[in-house]
Amino acid sequence: MSRTRMRLVALATCLMLLLPVLAACGGTSSTSGGSSANTIKVGLVTDTGGLNDKGFNSLANQGLQKAKSELGIQADVTQSTKASDYVPNLTNFASRGYNLVIAVGFLMASAVGQVSQQYPNVKFALIDSTPADAKGNSVTRSNVTSLLFKEQEAGALVGILTGMLEKQGKTPKKSHIVGAVGGQKIPPVDHYIAGFQWGVAKEDPSAKVLVAYSDEFSDPTPCANKTDTQISQGADVVFQVAGGCGLGVLTEGGKKGIYTIGVDTDQSASDQSVIASAVKRVETATFDAIKSVKDGSFQSGTVLFDLKNDGVGFVKGNLPVPADIQTEIDSVTNQIKSGAVTVPDTVKP
Amino acid sequence: MTASTAPARPESEAAATSPWVERLRRVGRALALPAGSVVLAFLIGAVLIALAGGDPLASYEALACGGFGISCFGGETPALQISNTIEFITPLLMAGLAVGVAFRAGLFNIGVQGQLILGAIFATIVGLRLASLPGVILIPLLMLAGVVGGALWAGIVGVLKAFTGAHEVVTTIMLNYVAYNLLNYLLINGPMQAPNSSQISLPVGQNAQLPTLIPQEGLFFGQPGGAYHASIGIFIALAAAGVYAFLMRRTALGYEIRAVGQSQRAARYAGISVRRTIIVTMLISGAFAGLTGGLMIAGGSLHYLYADLKFDTTGFDAIAVSLLGQNVAIGVVLSAILFGALHAGGLVMQSDVQISSHIVEILQAVILFSLAANFLRSLKLRLPSLGREPAKPDGMEAAQAALQAEVGSTAAAEGDGRA
Amino acid sequence: MAILSQLLQVLVSGDFWQLALRDGALLALPALGGVLSERSGVTNIAMEGMMLTGAFFSVVAALSFHNPWMAVIVAMLAGGAMALIHAFISIRFRADQIISGFAINIAAVGLTTFLNAKLSNFRGLQQVDPSGRLPTINVPLLDNIPFLGQVFFQQNIIVYVSLALLAIANLVLFRTRLGLRLRAVGEHPEAADTAGINVYRLRYGAVIMSGLLSGLAGAFLAIGIANIFNDNMTSGRGYIALAAMIFGKWTPWGAFVACMIFGVGDALAASTGVINVPQYFLQMVPYVLALVVLAGLVGRSTPPAADGIPYTPGGE
Repeated sequence: MSRTRMRLVALATCLMLLLPVLAACGGTSSTSGGSSANTIKVGLVTDTGGLNDKGFNSLANQGLQKAKSELGIQADVTQSTKASDYVPNLTNFASRGYNLVIAVGFLMASAVGQVSQQYPNVKFALIDSTPADAKGNSVTRSNVTSLLFKEQEAGALVGILTGMLEKQGKTPKKSHIVGAVGGQKIPPVDHYIAGFQWGVAKEDPSAKVLVAYSDEFSDPTPCANKTDTQISQGADVVFQVAGGCGLGVLTEGGKKGIYTIGVDTDQSASDQSVIASAVKRVETATFDAIKSVKDGSFQSGTVLFDLKNDGVGFVKGNLPVPADIQTEIDSVTNQIKSGAVTVPDTVKP
Repeated sequence: MTASTAPARPESEAAATSPWVERLRRVGRALALPAGSVVLAFLIGAVLIALAGGDPLASYEALACGGFGISCFGGETPALQISNTIEFITPLLMAGLAVGVAFRAGLFNIGVQGQLILGAIFATIVGLRLASLPGVILIPLLMLAGVVGGALWAGIVGVLKAFTGAHEVVTTIMLNYVAYNLLNYLLINGPMQAPNSSQISLPVGQNAQLPTLIPQEGLFFGQPGGAYHASIGIFIALAAAGVYAFLMRRTALGYEIRAVGQSQRAARYAGISVRRTIIVTMLISGAFAGLTGGLMIAGGSLHYLYADLKFDTTGFDAIAVSLLGQNVAIGVVLSAILFGALHAGGLVMQSDVQISSHIVEILQAVILFSLAANFLRSLKLRLPSLGREPAKPDGMEAAQAALQAEVGSTAAAEGDGRA
Repeated sequence: MAILSQLLQVLVSGDFWQLALRDGALLALPALGGVLSERSGVTNIAMEGMMLTGAFFSVVAALSFHNPWMAVIVAMLAGGAMALIHAFISIRFRADQIISGFAINIAAVGLTTFLNAKLSNFRGLQQVDPSGRLPTINVPLLDNIPFLGQVFFQQNIIVYVSLALLAIANLVLFRTRLGLRLRAVGEHPEAADTAGINVYRLRYGAVIMSGLLSGLAGAFLAIGIANIFNDNMTSGRGYIALAAMIFGKWTPWGAFVACMIFGVGDALAASTGVINVPQYFLQMVPYVLALVVLAGLVGRSTPPAADGIPYTPGGE
């Protein structure tokens, strides 16, 4: 009796451990999409925001999927659920000879710095940051391209629009007070806000720009709440720079009858209150990086995306832009493109 | 190996057979339920994967590859996968012990996340401030700092519980949020923020990092040594599990903790100071949690403190690990291995077969459901050997006690409190 | 001094209290659910998961039906379904209820994230358009009262519902036979059983109520406040509600008081630009306050005597 029992117990235990192996034995060799030897393999690692973030992870994935269908590459994605996943996820792709590993987000700087050094033959693209070394200093590596954006230029244009509207008294409350709600306080967010401050001040020096950070990219409530406070302080145009959290800004603004400005992608469909969006074409940058690997033109170092190369830009929303304002936006766009003016990238207190 | 023995469990059966057979049988009995739960979860998971349009076999191949380095067909290096899994197991095991020790005393510590953050903060400060010390001195100091940080944070909970009766579920949750904000304060334009960066501190130096199991220079199994991050932290965590087992089974304190967990009233009659035991238990729990934070800084792949630690789920995953492990050392070790492997495997599964790694969370949930519900009990009649008495482990009693501590002493008075 | 006057300025503003009441009422729903469940003797830490599930399905429903009420019903059913699993495993299988509740929370994260990706092809579900949003109701005449009008009579409809449910639950729990029976089941199930009360039915009912209420809270969060679903968007509110329930000693109004502390906390966090205190210290205030109040004034919270103990008729 005790013998049979033990045997059964052992069987059950082994079953647990063996299940994966059994699966392997009966395997139908269906892994890895049957790539041929010369297919370019690209792996994308999201930050903890995940693919559903309605922000840069999602946009980078769109670029990747576009490359998959247009360039015939093999495209694989891994989501990071915690920061300690970054290095294993990057290594997972690099160790298997992927041609390009794309890391999304400022917070992966040191992970990319680390893994790119261990795998000099694998190319890396890091969105929003340059790689960092073991001491936390920014470094350049021959196999890493940093895709950086001049968010401040897009921020400046929506700032011009806002400032002109305020100056001409065309905003809902004519209050000469506007707001910006950031997600985490990180450089890409601050660039947008700095540009916005500059644009507003250029057109309406008397206007006040309120700035708040939600420390949150996924839960929309804190962003809605920050917007509420800014509205009660008099703000009648609020710029969201907080990804998925910031969508709370747009709807809250809509409810309270003020104007809002979207970020990263055209968000005018999100709410009637969106008068414009400051866009950052992460999907294009991702696609271009993949293409450069495919056609052998990959370059290490930093690739800057700005107004000049249409990497960032201004997109109209649900408010017809008056001709004089459009003229001003166009003229500032040209000045920025020509280098006649430089938009600051640090937020003024 | 059988730390699972509840103190009150009768040992009469043992007399009949040899002690080794009996011991094995007890291990088998303890394992049958969790093992069966895992099998059930995988079966249900297979159905879900198939419904989502995936191939269950290919998915589990990838999961097993990422988890245990077996059945790797996508060009993965098994040793590297095992190294990753070890890296994920380490904090889960350590934090699982933190939750477990509290459960044994009938305390539900939801605050491990906050405590490990404090541990990580303290450890990072020591690692950065005393960077010039040699590793043999610095690493122990760093770990000690983690222990102190975590124990202080959990100690607040213990003291409040012991002297004012403040419920630990409330206080631990509150202290989590205080810890999150403290972390934000330190790292976002705060005193610990790395210059020229945001949201992170400077990394601790080489001296403060735990030696890795595989040398950092040279090629191993075709991969650069630096890619292997598994460190001796796993031995520290295993040693902690040993200490936990010893504490619970062989010391007077362990006996007191279990006694308080089973019935505070009875413990009081037995002359145990319930107050003291609660405080000491929380200090130990926090020490384990703080050590987890220390291990995350000195081991792992990132050697700096980061603000996203507040979104990290280690402290919560640890609750599942501890519950699955029935709050005994060997159980926590095994369930940490399982959860660590599932997590590591999920990452590979997504990259290989595009099945969202979140399926792993569903698997974990089914395992817990199945364990809790003891679905196997209904199978027991047909398979009598699967565990004659899938005994209710003392961990579960402790867990229940967590929310019903002090039953009887004041319940009658409280019953209609606000009526 | 400047800080004090800034704080005062914030504390007398209608906006501040409007927001605090809204978030307090939001938390009160799952907290009330917890109270009912645990009063009946079933430990419930699953409000977080039930709320997240409700939030997800409310958005799915709002996007397909363009009707907030359909969405609310779907959300409540989704929360209720999760609760039913918890009830079934806790009551029928006499499971450890902490494990079961925790499993619900993990399952909800996995399930909603998985489905969100599946349904939106990895872009995240869309924003809910105004036709699918829960409306804000301004009570005629009363909403014009200075200050009070804004705080109490210009709120989302679910805020009124939440407050009404609190009052009703309190009445039912402490002034009716049903409430007496429910409490009896949670304190002395054997005695209740002997007296002819169906222990199982009451427990099932109470746990499912907790799911319906948490699902409603999820809908309020997703289509009343945010108008969108993001992964993990409940971000710990279910645990805060759990804390509020215990803080309030398992009574509806006690839990509501605690919820209001956290509501005020949310409003304070939103006011960081106005009060000149480092943001993160300001955001700590409600939690530290709750600790101090709990330790100093509330003291020992004792759950219902049979909370967490599966009931077996006639012993085993």
